[in-house]
Amino acid sequence: MSHDGHHAVVIPAPGPEFQPHTVAHHFDTPVQEFQSAKLGFWLFLATEILLFGGLFAAYFYFHEMYPETFRLGGKQLDWQLGALNTAVLLASSWTMAMGVRAAQTSQKKLLLRYCGLTVLGALIFMAVKFVEYSAKDAHGFVVFADLFAPYDTATGQIPWFQDYDGHMAGVPHGHLFFAIYLTMTAIHGLHVLIGAGLILWIMKGAAKGRFHAGYYLPVDLVGLYWHLVDLIWIFLFPLLYLVP
Amino acid sequence: MTTNVPALDAGAAAAGPRRNFLDVATGFWSWASTLDHKRIGLMYLVGVSLAFLCGGLFALLVRLHLWEPHGTLFSNADYNQIFTLHGAFMVFLFVIPAIPGSLGNILLPLMLGAKDVALPRLNLLSFYLWLVGAALATLAIVFGGFDTGWTFYTPYSLYTEQAVVTIGLAVFVLGFSSIFTGLNFIVTVHKLRAPGMTWFRMPLFVWALYATSLLQVLATPVLGITVLLVAFERLYHVGIFDPRLGGDPVLFEHFFWFYSHPAVYIMVLPAFGIISELVSVHSRKPVFGYKLIAYSSIAIAVISFLVWGHHMFTSGQSTYAMFAFSFLTFFVAIPTAIKEFSWVATVWRGSIALNSPMLYTLAFLIIFSIGGLTGVILGALAVNLHLHDTYFVVAHFHYVMMGSIAVAFFAGLHHWWPKIFGVMYDEFLAKIACGIIFVGFNATFIPQFIMGSRGMPRRYATYVPDYTDFHKASTIGAIVLGCGIALMVYYLVASLFQRRQAMQNHWGGVTLEWHAPTPPPVENFTTPPVVTTEVYDYSTLDLDTMRRPVQ
Amino acid sequence: MTVHDHDAHAGSGALQMGHHHVSSAALFAKVLVALLILTAITVGASRIHFGAANMLIAMFLACVKASLVMAFFMHLKWDTAINKIVFFGSFLFLSLLIVFTIADQTTRRMDGKWHVQKSPVQYEWVHPRLLTDKKD
Repeated sequence: MSHDGHHAVVIPAPGPEFQPHTVAHHFDTPVQEFQSAKLGFWLFLATEILLFGGLFAAYFYFHEMYPETFRLGGKQLDWQLGALNTAVLLASSWTMAMGVRAAQTSQKKLLLRYCGLTVLGALIFMAVKFVEYSAKDAHGFVVFADLFAPYDTATGQIPWFQDYDGHMAGVPHGHLFFAIYLTMTAIHGLHVLIGAGLILWIMKGAAKGRFHAGYYLPVDLVGLYWHLVDLIWIFLFPLLYLVP
Repeated sequence: MTTNVPALDAGAAAAGPRRNFLDVATGFWSWASTLDHKRIGLMYLVGVSLAFLCGGLFALLVRLHLWEPHGTLFSNADYNQIFTLHGAFMVFLFVIPAIPGSLGNILLPLMLGAKDVALPRLNLLSFYLWLVGAALATLAIVFGGFDTGWTFYTPYSLYTEQAVVTIGLAVFVLGFSSIFTGLNFIVTVHKLRAPGMTWFRMPLFVWALYATSLLQVLATPVLGITVLLVAFERLYHVGIFDPRLGGDPVLFEHFFWFYSHPAVYIMVLPAFGIISELVSVHSRKPVFGYKLIAYSSIAIAVISFLVWGHHMFTSGQSTYAMFAFSFLTFFVAIPTAIKEFSWVATVWRGSIALNSPMLYTLAFLIIFSIGGLTGVILGALAVNLHLHDTYFVVAHFHYVMMGSIAVAFFAGLHHWWPKIFGVMYDEFLAKIACGIIFVGFNATFIPQFIMGSRGMPRRYATYVPDYTDFHKASTIGAIVLGCGIALMVYYLVASLFQRRQAMQNHWGGVTLEWHAPTPPPVENFTTPPVVTTEVYDYSTLDLDTMRRPVQ
Repeated sequence: MTVHDHDAHAGSGALQMGHHHVSSAALFAKVLVALLILTAITVGASRIHFGAANMLIAMFLACVKASLVMAFFMHLKWDTAINKIVFFGSFLFLSLLIVFTIADQTTRRMDGKWHVQKSPVQYEWVHPRLLTDKKD
């Protein structure tokens, strides 16, 4: 119906509080547009899996190399905080799924409410993370002030790993566990923040009535991103806090 | 392949002088903000060509330096930087993005009968990421350069006092440019094929790009996290790759080659695709073993993930892993040989037109046979231990990367040049240049095979005098090769100003891109194509339309 | 209007915009409860010492949780075949990276009979010329 490129396909708005959506010119149908974007986004999520996968490979590699270090390191993390954050992320994943459902059923206020709850979940997660990082800083496992200080080859001391109370004494390369812990959780935390930003962007569009049963593609995609963040945490939690 | 060819005239007659994608709008902004896959492809073409010329210049400097055993031009430290720049520019800025970014971008939607790629804005983003990556790589030279080799092996890359973080960032950004191109192509192939364009009616160039895209999406993220970890390592001493801190540099090699071995096929598969098209068109004969070539592209893509350890036979990895990787490596040779035999069988008894694209194609077939077979030699564990990090390896991968991939890129460029621009270059000069490039290339790298097998190590700024003659021969070859490429650049650029008209379908191709007007309009086809016949069916060739000159 | 939809993977006609699968709120609630219970089980299982099996148990439980999130929250259960292949494919290729690197790591310690010295090795670099000079 739009083969000549002059007649754009328009999905009508289901009500006065919503906006119609115009299908991009190079697609013939809304289905084609939806499926293309969705496939593209799944491919992007696949790249995210492999990006994080490198870190997981490193984790398993060194877990295999220094099992004692990892066992002892895992004990230094607060598993209660980790479990709390797991629950928070799982709940926020649920609110996001409900938000997508609200968009699918053209419930504008409900969509805004669930998105708001999801962002709240992200904030709680980051707040707990902050408490956790502070505790690691206090014990000298990760001294954030010295994170970028140059490494002293003479003493062999890494500035950011002080281990004030000697918890990790007696196992080889105690800093390695915390290095992996910090790198994984920091990159994951970055994804949480990006996800929260994307959800805020969705809320902005939702307030204008852009998303409804006829067109909710961006809500769906941001939802997928948020679930991926949850998915990665599902693996991080037992590996870091309950080191098997 | 049949399309509504007559509609081409109707559209042209109604709209007066036809506007094509080149002259539909002018000015810097019309290019910088374009979402047209053909314009983005052309910008890529300019970009990767400049990167190629830069990388080529570095290569010439390397060769000139090695004229004498003690080195002629640079200090040893500067030489390390020059060969690193040559490798990094050629690999990350030219060979990986060259064919998918330029020819792939321009041709993939045309070959599928689509109006554009599925995600045009992402496509433009890919190009800008490439530009940012190129800028960062250039910035890294300003920030003190980098002398790690293009592989950034740890622990040296952790200790050297140079701009490793900047070039790491460049590689990270370029990686995402590559990922987004691949992602876009996969979605386009799945969702934007014209009616009647079934999977097995797709041209083999599309199949090759599809396999390439799978690799780009699946392998490149691991490179991303690897260079990030190197950057973290330098910035805050993670320790993962640093043996002083309990880390393991071999893990870096695993990560790096998990990407970089598939990356070899990211580079070479599109070249295979070009050759598959060209042997058919210029022999006026359907491709022999179409399905086998299509499947072998996918097979190469999958097997390439299982063999990366053959780059690490001297790294200290476990002997058992070496056995496995060496064994698995031989399996890559099977689908590759299927392609090579199918190409030769396609040319066999065809109506061969020895025009310049076909000459480049034949050059490819010869050079790639050598490049591929020496790869099998290097895949053998015991032989590899002797040849590892010698000029034999250098010659092998140049036979693949320069002699095969770059030559296939030239072949494709010559083949589709009249399609893209509607003008023809000087065929006589093109044939001469192809000859010079072929001779120069072999003269450069055959001596390297010989001195490599005699133990000349790669990457050294100086060498023992025994190798002097080989190095001199190689340098002379490189100068000849450089002259050939300079001649090619000259006549291709000159053709844009001489405006010698090409024909509508200059070589008599039957894939869909030849059914679009020449040069194509923004929307690619005047009437959306409907495919009713099999691919490479030359009985459908419409000679009248084919020979009509471009307006 | 659906002329482009030849893709064998493209799924059924039910995927028209507006006719997508909408899961019931009750289902989502059940999934959330299951995920929370599985988290509790994960913590509980980590307290009991099973030796090397602890890792397998933890990863198995994490995979079950991940499957629930993928199947229901991410709608993958009702998604097209190609999207499923893409996502599961990424895990497959990731497992290649992990399996081969770990296999190298674990078999390296069995290398004794192949290598004279085990890593880490301290090498002192000597120019080859000096080695030949010594012989003379």
